[in-house]
Amino acid sequence: MLVAFLTFWEVAARLAHNIGIATFSDTMVAAWDLMFGNGRIWEAMLNSNAALVLGFAISAVTAVPLGLAAGRSRILDRALSPYTAILLAIPVAPLVPIAITAFGLSLAARVSIVILFAVIFIYVNTRAGVRSVDRRLVEMAHAFGASERTIWTKVVIPSAVPAMFAGLRIGLGRALTGMVAVELLLVATGVGKLLLEYRDRLQPAYVFATVLFVIAEALLLLELARFIERKVAPWND
Amino acid sequence: MTDVTAASTETQPPAPWPDDASLAAASHGGPMIELRGVSKEFLGDRSSTTTTHALDNISLTVNEHEFITVIGPSGCGKTTLLRIVAGLIPYDSGQVLVKGKPVTGPGPDRAVVFQSFALLPWATVLENVAFGLETRGIPRAEREEQARVLIKTVGLAGFESRLPRHLSGGMQQRVGLARALAVNPDILLMDEPFGAIDEQTRRIMQEELLRIWGYRRKTVLFVTHSMEEAVLLADRVILMSPRPGRVHEIIDVPLPRPRGRETERTREFTDIKELLWDKLRVMQTV
Repeated sequence: MLVAFLTFWEVAARLAHNIGIATFSDTMVAAWDLMFGNGRIWEAMLNSNAALVLGFAISAVTAVPLGLAAGRSRILDRALSPYTAILLAIPVAPLVPIAITAFGLSLAARVSIVILFAVIFIYVNTRAGVRSVDRRLVEMAHAFGASERTIWTKVVIPSAVPAMFAGLRIGLGRALTGMVAVELLLVATGVGKLLLEYRDRLQPAYVFATVLFVIAEALLLLELARFIERKVAPWND
Repeated sequence: MTDVTAASTETQPPAPWPDDASLAAASHGGPMIELRGVSKEFLGDRSSTTTTHALDNISLTVNEHEFITVIGPSGCGKTTLLRIVAGLIPYDSGQVLVKGKPVTGPGPDRAVVFQSFALLPWATVLENVAFGLETRGIPRAEREEQARVLIKTVGLAGFESRLPRHLSGGMQQRVGLARALAVNPDILLMDEPFGAIDEQTRRIMQEELLRIWGYRRKTVLFVTHSMEEAVLLADRVILMSPRPGRVHEIIDVPLPRPRGRETERTREFTDIKELLWDKLRVMQTV
C-alpha cells in the first residue's frame, strides 16, 4: 500500500513537470539535508513544539478537571455550556489575529492559539465520559457503602478514562493544527517559518520534507498517547 | 468461556449442615427485616402528572436465617421492594426495619447481588470481591486475604487476577456473590441474580448458592421470576400481585434441606410449584 503510494507519487510528480511539486526522491534528499545537512528542522521543531507542549499541557490540566466536574455537577455544566458551545461552534482561525493583538508576536500568542484549538475537545469528551458512567455501577457502590469520594475515584473516573483519552488524542491533533496554523498565518517561526521560506525560495522538496516531519511528529505523538492509554486503561482494548 | 463448576466443587470443603440446635444458639431469633405498611409511588416525567403506584401497603417479616423468595408478574414491584430494603431508594410511607432499626440508607448489615452483576470492568476478580471491604476502609492486605477465602468459597480459585470480561456470566455472578459475602452481612439481598444467566449455568448456580448458604446461613431476600427457583430455594415464597404491588399470598415451602436436583423430582416440590403457577396464572395478563 505504502510502496504503491510512494511509486505513484514519484511517477506522477515526474510526469507533472510542475515546479511546485517535488518528487518523492527529491523530498527524501531534502529531508536528509534538513536533518543532517543544514540541520534546520531540529531548531524549527523545537521552536514550534514549545508552543505545542505548553498549550497542550495547559489545555489538558484545565479541561480534564473541568470536564470531570461538569459531568457530575449540573450547575457547573449549565454555567459553562454557553462558553463551550461558542468554542465548539466557531472556527478558531479568525481568533488568531485577536490573540496576536493581545499578546504580540510572542510565544504566549502561539500558546493561546494552541489552547483555543485543543481545549474544547478534551473538555467535551471528558464530560461525556463522566456522563456515560454506568448508573448500575454507581448504585452498586452506594449499596456497598461507598462514600462520594470513593465513588469518584473507584467508579466515575475509571469509567471516564477511555473517553478522556479519546479527547486527549483529538485535542493533540487539534493542538498540532493550531501550532502550524498560527506560524503560517502570523507568527513566522519554527516549522511555519521554514515552510514559508522554502516556498518563497521555490524549493518544493524542502516544503514537502518539512510537512513530512510534521506528519511524522503527529503520528508519533498519537502513538505515544495510545501507548499511555493502554498502560492506564488496559481493560479498554 | 467455560464454567469452573466441575473443578470447583471437588476442591470445596464438604458443606457442614448446621443442625437446628447450633443455629438456634447462634441466633437471637428475632425478625431480621420488618416491613410495616410500606408504600411507594414513582413520579412520571416532569411533563406528565401520572404516578406509578409501585408498592401498596406491604407488610412482611423475615426472620433470621430465613431464605425468602419474592415472585410475581412483571411490574409487581418486587425489585423496588428489594431496593427499598437495601436502602437504595426511599419509600413514601410505612416503616422498614432491619434488626429493629429504621432503614435510612445502605448499611453494613446488608449486601446486594445484582442481576447485571455490576462488576467494575477495570478491576480484577480479587479487587471486585474486595470492593465492599475497601469502602469500609479495611487495609489492603487484610481485605485481600478475606477476598481470597470467598473466591475459593464460590469456586473461583485461580481466577483472582482475571478481569470480569474474561469470565462467563455464571462466573461473573460468582464474583458478585463473593463480593456480597465478603462483607459478612447479616442479610443477602439478591435481585434476580441468575436472571441474566443461561439455563444450564443457572441450575448449577442455584445448587452452589444452596451449598454456600448451607454453611453461611445468612438471611436471604431473593427476587426471581422463575417458579422452580422460587420453590427450590425458599423457606417461604412471597407472591406479589401487580400495580399496585401487594403481598398477594405467602406460601410455605416445608421441603427438607439440604435440597438439590432430587428435590425437584419429589411430589411435594411439584405440588407447590403447580400451586404457585395456578395463583400466578390468574394475575398474568399477556
